[in-house]
Amino acid sequence: MLNQLTFQWPNIYEIRRKWLLKKAPYGPMRDFLSTPFQSSYTSIYDSSVLAVDFETTGLNAKKDKLLSVGFVELDHSQIQLASCYHQIIKTEGDLSADNVVIHQITDDVKAQGLELNTVIEHLLKILAGKVMLVHFSRIEKQFLSKACIDLYGIAPVFPIIDTLVIAKKRLDKKSIAYDPSQLRLSNLREQHHLPTHYAHNALNDAIATAELFLAQVNQFQLGDAEKLKSVLI
Amino acid sequence: MDTSLAEIFSFIQSIPPFDLLPVPVLERIVNEVSICYVRRGQQLPPKGVNEPRLYLLRTGALSLSNDDNHLLGKYGEGDCCTVFCVPNNGQKDIVHSDEDTLLYSISYEKLTCIIKDYPDVIAFFQQTSSERLSKKMHRINDDALVASSLMNSSIANFFHTPVATIEAKSSIKDAAIKMTELGFSCLVVMKENRHVGIVTDKDIRRRCVAAGLSSLEAVNNIMTPEMSTIDIKNNAYQALMAMTSKRIHHLPVTQHGIVTGMVTITDLMNNEGINAVNFTSIIHKANTVSELAEISHLLPKLQIRMTKLGTTADHVAKSISAITMAFTIRLIEMAEKILGPAPVPYAWLAAGSQARQEQLAHSDQDNALIISDDVKPEHDYWFHDFATFVSDGLAACGFIYCPGNVMATNPKWRQSQSKWARYFDQWINTPDPKALMHCSIFFDLETVYGDTSLLENVRATMLTKTKQSTLFIAHLTSNALKLRPPLGFFRDFVLIQNGKNKATLDLKHNGIAPIVDLARIYALSEGISEVNTIERLRQAAGTVSLSKPAAANLIDAIELLGMLRLEHQARQLELDQKPDNYLAPKEISRLEREHLKDAFKVIKTMQDSRPSI
Repeated sequence: MLNQLTFQWPNIYEIRRKWLLKKAPYGPMRDFLSTPFQSSYTSIYDSSVLAVDFETTGLNAKKDKLLSVGFVELDHSQIQLASCYHQIIKTEGDLSADNVVIHQITDDVKAQGLELNTVIEHLLKILAGKVMLVHFSRIEKQFLSKACIDLYGIAPVFPIIDTLVIAKKRLDKKSIAYDPSQLRLSNLREQHHLPTHYAHNALNDAIATAELFLAQVNQFQLGDAEKLKSVLI
Repeated sequence: MDTSLAEIFSFIQSIPPFDLLPVPVLERIVNEVSICYVRRGQQLPPKGVNEPRLYLLRTGALSLSNDDNHLLGKYGEGDCCTVFCVPNNGQKDIVHSDEDTLLYSISYEKLTCIIKDYPDVIAFFQQTSSERLSKKMHRINDDALVASSLMNSSIANFFHTPVATIEAKSSIKDAAIKMTELGFSCLVVMKENRHVGIVTDKDIRRRCVAAGLSSLEAVNNIMTPEMSTIDIKNNAYQALMAMTSKRIHHLPVTQHGIVTGMVTITDLMNNEGINAVNFTSIIHKANTVSELAEISHLLPKLQIRMTKLGTTADHVAKSISAITMAFTIRLIEMAEKILGPAPVPYAWLAAGSQARQEQLAHSDQDNALIISDDVKPEHDYWFHDFATFVSDGLAACGFIYCPGNVMATNPKWRQSQSKWARYFDQWINTPDPKALMHCSIFFDLETVYGDTSLLENVRATMLTKTKQSTLFIAHLTSNALKLRPPLGFFRDFVLIQNGKNKATLDLKHNGIAPIVDLARIYALSEGISEVNTIERLRQAAGTVSLSKPAAANLIDAIELLGMLRLEHQARQLELDQKPDNYLAPKEISRLEREHLKDAFKVIKTMQDSRPSI
């Protein structure tokens, strides 16, 4: 009862979204920004979440390229495989041998990919109104911003849940020194007794991140009523 | 398919019955999967899920219990939980997670729509355990039908017709001429169009030529009267059993009581290679115990061979039992040759698995002697020496001495007919649970050699009493209920009643024995004289004690357990290990575990429906 009566400040994302909407060009970006975000006081259970993962040629959004995009929706804490999306992007320039080893995306496969704008347009359409769930958000945030600036002239705003941040906060609270490698997706999954997964495929990593998030929410005994606010970065 | 879902795809593909589906169909299933996470201690289905769904365990563990909080089963990685496939299943079973659990689930409605063209897969979800078990056993029996011969060949395939006959008043010489002309070694002797006996070339040698009888005498002087016959409806295997037990080589075949043909042991032998028939015939030719012991080494080989041929467990056990019987009879003949004829009529009895014709190689010997009431105290020297010779002989042939001392060498089990009758009276009239546990073996008795009427008279009286003694049946039942099947499997362990895990499944004590015990209870309650478990179940089917469908379920269950036991023992025998009954879940496939769980359920249902004390 008290909760409902508490005055809710409009969240920072909403303020920024409305501000950006005013200057967004017509098209996919404007459509994306037209959809209101969920209140950060929505329960985690009731929120719409999109687990996303990008595979890239490197960590620098300015010079490296986006190779593939994978995502899957979480609806009422259930990962719906019917909503799976995985797409290789046709990018210019040859791939380095190191990258091919990691992502198994060869130049031949890449040549069969879709254009960057088609993939980003689809991602924005599905992401609209949802919270993005990622592991180590810097990559997805920066590469998506860079792609949007190149395509539409502005970078979008969107609320993010980062499973790495959730895990880090927990470890920091314990005030015991830890090895940063513990925060890797595969290591965190192992700690939660989740099965080993085939990493470095964008969709696989997105599903793996979503599973980790479900395990984290359960482990922290956040309860069904726990608000989105507590996990947003 | 997208490599990203390859792991989920191959995980689901590894779980029966999904392994039966082609790749495109499985891909559609994967596409409909939702993944959810259930914290330890939470109940299924997950919050907000009301529609019927199938759950597959990716990691973690679930427990299934009834509303009395009684554990019914557990699910581990790779198990398939069908509890929520049916909306609001009447029995309020509860599923909760024992560990944090990652689950794949699919809407049951969507699943049935995707697999609609695969009836075998749909059946897996829709059928009850007994239906699934029955289907599995039908398939196995069909395979056995192709693989095996004798068991499933009618006598009609073997017998010679028309049967060669001779009039009773014809001379022995005429009989010899007719045999020579026809190339037959035996003739059925007729009198006024009815068969009165049989005469073989051996009779001419022994009873005429060697005895100095004139060949002009009538043939009925040397014939064997009251010959054994077999009805044409029986299978070739039953003909073999009849010939083995009576030690005859010719068996007239009747149709509506009239002799229409003849089946010989050679006919049967030509049909199968190294087999039970050849075996019994070489046993008959052995002259010393050491020769018999030599032959007995072949017994495990025969068991492996029959198992590999896909022969049904029932047939294998009957063959091994028939051979054990042949060994015993040959030893008895040797004993009588050494000790001279018995002072009074008697019968050598087999008890337990041999009597039930459910014996396998390397089993122990359980036997007894029933002696005519004319026996005098001094005769016991003969019977003692006799029993010792046969029992030692059996031990030399690999049938180890009975650890419980149920052997004819034990004076307690070497008794007169009236003493045996008193034993049964005592067991039935004043049933003592502990005593009953040790004597249940004597309710499965069969005559191996000697005067069959001795046992049959006692048995007839015994059965009229067991039919009426509810107290006796109730005590027998509470003993029988002490051996329970396990709940199922959890990971690579066997899950037992108290939720504990065992490394292996004792196929004999927690699978076969409970069914054997139930069948004995049905037979004794209904006054059925048969001792073979499947035959008891068949005859009890449709009586007050046992419904027809329940009998069919139990027969399927014992056949499955018997088959798994034979396969397990074949693996051990091939490695020169001593065969046992302890099956490790790792030895069998996931699908076989499902079938076993169905069998456990069938046994449990039947055990739970028996009133006991």
